[in-house]
Amino acid sequence: MTVPALEMRGIVKTFPGVLALSGVDLTVQSGSIHAIVGENGAGKSTLVKILSGMYQPSAGEIRIDGAPVALASPADAARFGIAMVHQELNLAPDLTVAENVFLGRTPRRGPFVDRKALHTGAAGILATIGARLNLDAEVGGLSVSQQQLVEIAKAYAAGPRIIVLDEPTSSLSEHESQALFGVLRRMRAQGTAVIYISHRLREVLAIADEVTVLRDGALAGARLREGLTATEMIHLMVGRDVSDLFPKHAATIGEPLLEIEGLSDGLRVHDVSLTVRAGEIVGMTGLVGAGRTEVARAIVGLGPRTAGRIRVHGHDVAPRNPAEARRAGIAYVPEDRKRDGIVPSLSVRENITLPILSSLSRLGWVRARAERAEAQGQARRLGISPPDPERRISLLSGGNQQKTVIARWLAARPSVLILDEPTRGVDVGAKAEIHAIIGDLVSQGLGVLMISSELPEVMAVSDRVYVMHEGRIAPPLGRDELDERRIMALATGEEGL
Amino acid sequence: MSTAPLVKPRHVARSTLAVAGSLALPIAILAVLFFGTAASPNFLSVSNLLNVLTSMSIIGVIVVAMTFVLVSGGLADLSVPATVAMGAILTLALQPVLGTIGAFAAGVLAAGGAGLLNGVLVGYARINAIIATLATGTVILGVAQWVVGGVIVYGADPTSGNLLKGRIGGVPTLVLIFAAAVILGHLLLSHTVWGRWTRATGDSLPAATAAAVPVRLVSAGAFVLTGIASGISGGLLALTLQNARPGIGEGYEFDSITAVVVGGVSILGGQGSVPRAVGGLIFVQLLTNVMTLMGVRTPVQGLALGLLIVAAVALDLAVRKRGGA
Repeated sequence: MTVPALEMRGIVKTFPGVLALSGVDLTVQSGSIHAIVGENGAGKSTLVKILSGMYQPSAGEIRIDGAPVALASPADAARFGIAMVHQELNLAPDLTVAENVFLGRTPRRGPFVDRKALHTGAAGILATIGARLNLDAEVGGLSVSQQQLVEIAKAYAAGPRIIVLDEPTSSLSEHESQALFGVLRRMRAQGTAVIYISHRLREVLAIADEVTVLRDGALAGARLREGLTATEMIHLMVGRDVSDLFPKHAATIGEPLLEIEGLSDGLRVHDVSLTVRAGEIVGMTGLVGAGRTEVARAIVGLGPRTAGRIRVHGHDVAPRNPAEARRAGIAYVPEDRKRDGIVPSLSVRENITLPILSSLSRLGWVRARAERAEAQGQARRLGISPPDPERRISLLSGGNQQKTVIARWLAARPSVLILDEPTRGVDVGAKAEIHAIIGDLVSQGLGVLMISSELPEVMAVSDRVYVMHEGRIAPPLGRDELDERRIMALATGEEGL
Repeated sequence: MSTAPLVKPRHVARSTLAVAGSLALPIAILAVLFFGTAASPNFLSVSNLLNVLTSMSIIGVIVVAMTFVLVSGGLADLSVPATVAMGAILTLALQPVLGTIGAFAAGVLAAGGAGLLNGVLVGYARINAIIATLATGTVILGVAQWVVGGVIVYGADPTSGNLLKGRIGGVPTLVLIFAAAVILGHLLLSHTVWGRWTRATGDSLPAATAAAVPVRLVSAGAFVLTGIASGISGGLLALTLQNARPGIGEGYEFDSITAVVVGGVSILGGQGSVPRAVGGLIFVQLLTNVMTLMGVRTPVQGLALGLLIVAAVALDLAVRKRGGA
């Protein structure tokens, strides 16, 4: 057996309070395409960031062509012949296609750019990878998929030993994806080691030689492509025991509170319909980029809405912003707590009362006592710790920040509460508390729509589950139909919607 | 659990750097007072200090409003010199027609209208505030120069400035007006819904948007405030001087931004208060006064103020970084 191009042994990565990777192995041969698959949060991105020198592993060893290496920075990784194609594009929008392809390695003649060499070189590379692009077009004016091709050309131009592609087809059309696979096969034939990260299982089966499956930061299995099926991959991805971490509260289910019909946003949401009834926890899941958050944002007027009806208590509403959504009885706790949730330099009290401040004021003057009472009451109800509402919210733990943002929207006394990844990045204890709060709310007659990527959470807490795949939504699964493999099959598009 | 502690440990977790940041200004003002007293016998006299206070009153009104622009995350209003000129010229030009009060009100109203234009450009059209206010300011000044024809407008009624130049209960009238603006501005920022919205918008635009704050209205409103304040300052200036020319408000934009920034109001938005900005103004004015009394030449004074701005901004950024905000 030849020496593998890349060996990663026992890679451990810890962040404060989180074990992101617990001893992962990865072996990639020269001249092969190696896929890494796993659920959201399984550790794929962390592993790739370690390989690209952006993160330092807490423990473990990396060997390239058999020699141990230290990748202290992205520049180091580049020196060892590792090229990255990131999900987020890393291009200079005001430079041309040709200039971007040679970004950082521009051919020169003396102190000047050798335009001729730049042009012919870039043309050659684009031809090789089968991308038909105007060399002189500014990259900022290209479509996302064209930019993706430029990114790939740029990685290819470096003549890498190992190339890593993170979800490269997420913005490509079927045709462009096929062209990309042609490029990858050509690179494989030239002896390059290709690492391909995707959650499109069909693509993985079509192109990979080997597959490594990660689950919860650990290696779930490494298999040769031959003989591997999508079912087995899904089993490896989700095959864990559903613990009793999330106790289900029984609540009486009543009238429909929120009815969505044919919602589209013109971009990533297509013809989505769903219903949330009183006393019901409705789960919504899907892979990253499936359009779940976009549905929520379209409902409350934070995102565009090109078609569809929204009814609350049977009445048509059309909120243009969160203030109108609040008046209609819909509250939304956003996905990205740091960016869209907390207002960091305000206190817990000020954060809680922000959407309802007008009702706690007289002629624009905040009634301090009424405000304090409201904040105190909500903080106590949700068990926010420390129980001091005057503390700056940025000094609280993630779980307590999240409780504060939930408290903010409970203070608005909504009929329907939309929670987007309510337990992401909070510790286990706070997670159970948040689930208890959700259970408590529906027993009081609220309807809850909970968006979550965590299947065990979705399955344990929800009365019904909607699964989204590429902007479309599947008919809901009832509580007795919930099955991780079934949900994964819907989410990956294995089972048609 | 049930009984709340009487004394709340509000600031326990603040970093030493943040504490240093909040104490720096009072210490700096005390230091310049001591230094000034030692350096010049004329410094620590009632008449000198009252002079300093009077001379900062007119720009002080703008400083109060500029605080709202910075706190709301609106960067700065560079159209201030133009709106000051608007207030000044209209007050004197319309005085024969509308009377002193009417002309003053018309000037303030027009300046507020210019502020509204800035507000719409920045808050609703989302044009960078520096560019938008630079553009409106240039246009307004151009129009003013064209209308006035490059000459000076003189007051029609020289007695109309007497009240402003006088004193009420021993305190100069201008100082009283400034004090009223400070109190109103402080109450607006710290005790009203609008003030809370302003801080939330500047601190985190996406989070404030998601929390149902009318962020566009709030961003726009800050520029209406600077417009109105500049109109008031311009009117007061014209009535005091009994003349007005298009260049009357020159440098007021930078002087007011300097005061606000030196006062520790963050250029990144979200943090700051009217008293801090006024503290910054007092410090800068006292420092300038001491330097003048000591015979420091103007270019050197400019150098000192420039270094002061750099230091204030660096401290703000350092605190933000450590604070993790």
